[in-house]
Amino acid sequence: MKVMLRLLNSLPVFWIFLSVPALILVRNYLAGDVIAMDMLHPTGEFSARFMIIAMLISPMMTVFGNRSWLTWLLRRRRSFGLAAFGYALLHLIFYVIDMEEVSAMLAEIDAPGIWTGWLAFLVFTPLAITSSNAAMRAMGKRWKSLQRLVYLAALLTLAHWLLIHDGVTGALIHFAPLALFQLLRGIIIYSKATPKAVQTE
Amino acid sequence: MKISTRLFAATLAVGMTAGLSVPAHATGKMKCEAGPQSGWKTKTELEANLVKKGWKVKKSKVDGGCYEVYGTTPEGDRVEAYFHPVSLEKLLVSRRGKILFRKE
Repeated sequence: MKVMLRLLNSLPVFWIFLSVPALILVRNYLAGDVIAMDMLHPTGEFSARFMIIAMLISPMMTVFGNRSWLTWLLRRRRSFGLAAFGYALLHLIFYVIDMEEVSAMLAEIDAPGIWTGWLAFLVFTPLAITSSNAAMRAMGKRWKSLQRLVYLAALLTLAHWLLIHDGVTGALIHFAPLALFQLLRGIIIYSKATPKAVQTE
Repeated sequence: MKISTRLFAATLAVGMTAGLSVPAHATGKMKCEAGPQSGWKTKTELEANLVKKGWKVKKSKVDGGCYEVYGTTPEGDRVEAYFHPVSLEKLLVSRRGKILFRKE
């Protein structure tokens, strides 16, 4: 029983879990239930979702302290990040399939809703490439500075979503928790840094 | 695993499944008061019309009581366009969120 639980709780099983939506989506596409265009929204949304979860862990730790479920998440943060990239790649692949021609893609690259997406993907790529343990060790302190580019990727993703999608509700609902916890973290860090007079109250 | 962790994992699983079902909804970009659908021209007729004019049609559906078409214009722009379901008149054309045409 214990061995089973440990196996279920292992990283490879978690990776399978993260790829389940992709498997369902691709299966629907291959079965002819949906066309490439219809794959754009769900793949993009899952990418954003996993990126946001990865980015929520650290501010949540500041707010809630070292909870076991947060430690559980923290151990899977790179998995979430990589999944976010995987879904972004899938998103891009279906965009290419949908557009059919390079000329058509180039023709609309100046649209703000489009170039923000391209740029977000470009920022995301080095983060995914360096996500292995080996790269982490080799890069030392520079690894963390590089990974902080995810904030830029997040802003670009938000802009991409707001500019391209039907209405802003979905984008705002997804990014609201991130904004909230970043704000809370900011407040907590700021209040700890203020003079003693305030702290001793 | 602690109970809170397990509960959290379950919530995550449910949340992900919920995310797979994207409901159809009116986007509010365009509204047509065109009466009952029995008086409408068919989607097939609209699509055939557009193809004759040089459009490539990916998909069409009803949104806000209008026909909404995703496709490529004769000029090569990938757009979404709205048409009146009775007159089949072009009402709105937008490319990736930028409006290219709006009927006055």
